Amino acid sequence: MLAYIVRRLLIAVPTILLLIVASFFLMHFAPGGPFTSERPLPPAVLANIEARYGLDQPLWKQLWDYLYNIVVHFDFGPSFKFKDRDVNDIIAQGFPISLTYGSLSFLVATTVGVALGIAAAIKHNSWIDYLAVGLGIAAQALPNFIMGPILILTFTLWLGWLPGGGWNGGQWPYLIMPVIALATSYMGSIARITRSSMLEVLNSNFIRTARAKGLPTRTVIWRHALKPTLLPVVSYLGPVFVYVLTGSVFVDIYFSTGGLGQAYVGSALSRDYAVLLGVTILYGVLTVLVNLLTDLAYAWFDPKIRY
Amino acid sequence: MNKYIRTSLAGLLTSTMIASAAFAAGTHPTTGEALADDQTFTYRILDEHSSVDPQVVEDVSGAEIVRDLFEGLMNQDEDGNLVPGVATGYTTNDSKDVYTFTLRDDAKWSNGDPVTASDFVFAWKRAVDPALSSPYAWFMELMSIDNASEIIAGDKSVDDLGVKAIDDHTLEVTLSAPLPYFPQMTTHSTTFPAPQKVVEEFGDAWTKPENIVSNGAYVLTEHLPQERSVRERNENYWDNDNTIIEKVVALVINDENVALTRYLAGELDRTEVPAGQFPRLQKEHPEEAISFPRLCNYYYTFNLSDGGPEAFKDPNVRQALSLAVDRKIITENIMAGGQPQAYTFAPAATAGFDVPDVEMAAMSQAERDELAKELLAAAGYGPDNPLSFEMVYNTSEAHKKVAVALSQMWKQKLGVNAELANMEWKIFLEERGNQNFDMARGAWCGDYNEASTFLDLLQSDSGYNDGKYNNARVDELLSEAKTSDDAAPLYTEVERIIAQETPVIPIYHYAGVYMMDSDVGNWPVKNVEQNWYSKNLYKTAE
Repeated sequence: MLAYIVRRLLIAVPTILLLIVASFFLMHFAPGGPFTSERPLPPAVLANIEARYGLDQPLWKQLWDYLYNIVVHFDFGPSFKFKDRDVNDIIAQGFPISLTYGSLSFLVATTVGVALGIAAAIKHNSWIDYLAVGLGIAAQALPNFIMGPILILTFTLWLGWLPGGGWNGGQWPYLIMPVIALATSYMGSIARITRSSMLEVLNSNFIRTARAKGLPTRTVIWRHALKPTLLPVVSYLGPVFVYVLTGSVFVDIYFSTGGLGQAYVGSALSRDYAVLLGVTILYGVLTVLVNLLTDLAYAWFDPKIRY
Repeated sequence: MNKYIRTSLAGLLTSTMIASAAFAAGTHPTTGEALADDQTFTYRILDEHSSVDPQVVEDVSGAEIVRDLFEGLMNQDEDGNLVPGVATGYTTNDSKDVYTFTLRDDAKWSNGDPVTASDFVFAWKRAVDPALSSPYAWFMELMSIDNASEIIAGDKSVDDLGVKAIDDHTLEVTLSAPLPYFPQMTTHSTTFPAPQKVVEEFGDAWTKPENIVSNGAYVLTEHLPQERSVRERNENYWDNDNTIIEKVVALVINDENVALTRYLAGELDRTEVPAGQFPRLQKEHPEEAISFPRLCNYYYTFNLSDGGPEAFKDPNVRQALSLAVDRKIITENIMAGGQPQAYTFAPAATAGFDVPDVEMAAMSQAERDELAKELLAAAGYGPDNPLSFEMVYNTSEAHKKVAVALSQMWKQKLGVNAELANMEWKIFLEERGNQNFDMARGAWCGDYNEASTFLDLLQSDSGYNDGKYNNARVDELLSEAKTSDDAAPLYTEVERIIAQETPVIPIYHYAGVYMMDSDVGNWPVKNVEQNWYSKNLYKTAE
């Protein structure tokens, strides 16, 4: 197991390196630069700026310096757009916010989704099943960019219950709408996966055996059926966690949360190279780690799997 | 305002409200209106500002904040006129190339230090210093300050800049060329003073709320990037007694429709009206939907460079296309926010600019269409030989609507095939800057309130002249205007030439179209540059 983890982490290093190099060149090959503006800078001014940020160096040298600073100083470079902050600052300030929205959405989507799915499977073909399936499909059909406007119009403009955006120190009224917007469609998917998986498990031989032994339904479900049911769900949860984190880009922008999403999209549009790369690396590393955790979780859910 | 926000604001405001009890309970000293207890002004900004460092800031929302935090030599009043700031006045020599400003002796930094002439010298040298490499260093060149260009190019030391402190309260500026409107330019944020000690102590981080020291009516107290920036009264500001607004909150809201919703829910005092929604909002909220002229233009430029389309080398073709544009439809049906139709490049609202009697403006649209057909036929284009070209604009719903309308007008009236192409902003700028287009959208907001800020774009060697229009007479008039005491007739003549030769198609001039809470007093609707100062605003009791 430990050897497996070490091996996976070692593979992650070249993966991330490849991500950095590919992103670096793609970014530099995109037309326009950080200082392309409607008011083109006089050549002397532009030369001063480029010299200050090392943009006058050949690309390979820039890439080398960038990697060197990350490895040696853990410095992800300056922001070209926000002069008083560097990438480390921007991530340190925005990521905890995105992580809060992402984790809460993940929790909501998982608990509500799994509960709905199980309820639907147990009461197969009853009104509970139809309601749960209906809700699940409706939720899945509502991506966050549809949920956002619906929620804001309802709860901010019409009912006046919730603030229409902002972070404000993370007070709970500011968290509700973004979390619902982000969680809804994943909740729908999780509910559907859980339901079909549970139905399949409930029809399998070992459940029939358990029932034949005269075990109460509760024990059959919780002790025997739940773990195998969750296996396909878990394999979906890994990507979902990454999705809610990156999916929070829309929520960050739409609800003005101050999270990383705005900085990410903004940096792409303004060619703020270091910020764009920094956030890409962050999401890349998270993806690798979450995938590893998912694989490790398999072993717990399915004793047949050994690393 | 919903209750959650109200609760949190109440908590935050308790301390400041005690301090301002004198005003809060009272009435406005000149108008006599009853003032609200809560003097907080909350407004929306589209995007996170670049910086609040006066020498570095390059965007409008950042400059708005800097104008509250710092005070330059001169300010603007509600009408855009020059009024004293840190300087009480100035004198100039006969040749208008040396300006001497007298600084008030009660101006203080927020840490209590006096504001002196050397703070300005430090700031101005900083602005041109290659070590800072400010993207707005060019503004110092535009101001014609002696040696600015040489210092930026690295050929001279910053100490050679034509600015010196004669004593603590006298600042002398030497220009490389006479500039009659130099004092107007000192209202621009690049020229605001900077606190040397603080800048040297904290480096780039000196503008963070915990470090910043400023000399304006407000100090920065909170900043969560991409979310909010808060500024509160500076008790050391020399005119603090006449300041009414206690606290100003700028909220970053990227989506203009969300901003409008939040405004309607009472979370904001001011927001922009999305294109096309003004008529409805005006009907529903007549007291709050406001529109006033601004100092910006919207145009399409022809590519007149050697690589540009042959057809556009013929002024008849260009004029025909301009004539066939029904500006009334674009301003009234598409933008619908009170934007004036444009027949000149510089907006009529520009100070000291006499709008020439452009022939086209006096014609009816039917007459224009008729003439357009004749001109295009004379140029050899018609049903057998239709004119075709590509028009590019940067991706945006509003730009798309205008572009579609233009191409339809040309198609229906003249049988011209204009193909639309939209591009992401940076790519658009790159392509336009390299003359890789037939016809391209353009827009310009004045850097200062004088017609040259617009017309200089059409000077042949201007870095902003993306259409590469080249007319020796225009160049001559514009360079003459730089030093002339009365430039208005020169600008009028330039506009006449532009109307004849049509290197650009002016479409409309911008309007400031806002939803503004009716309890906000003294918003400077007549200041066409929209240089607003929170210290001049107030909120009346509802």
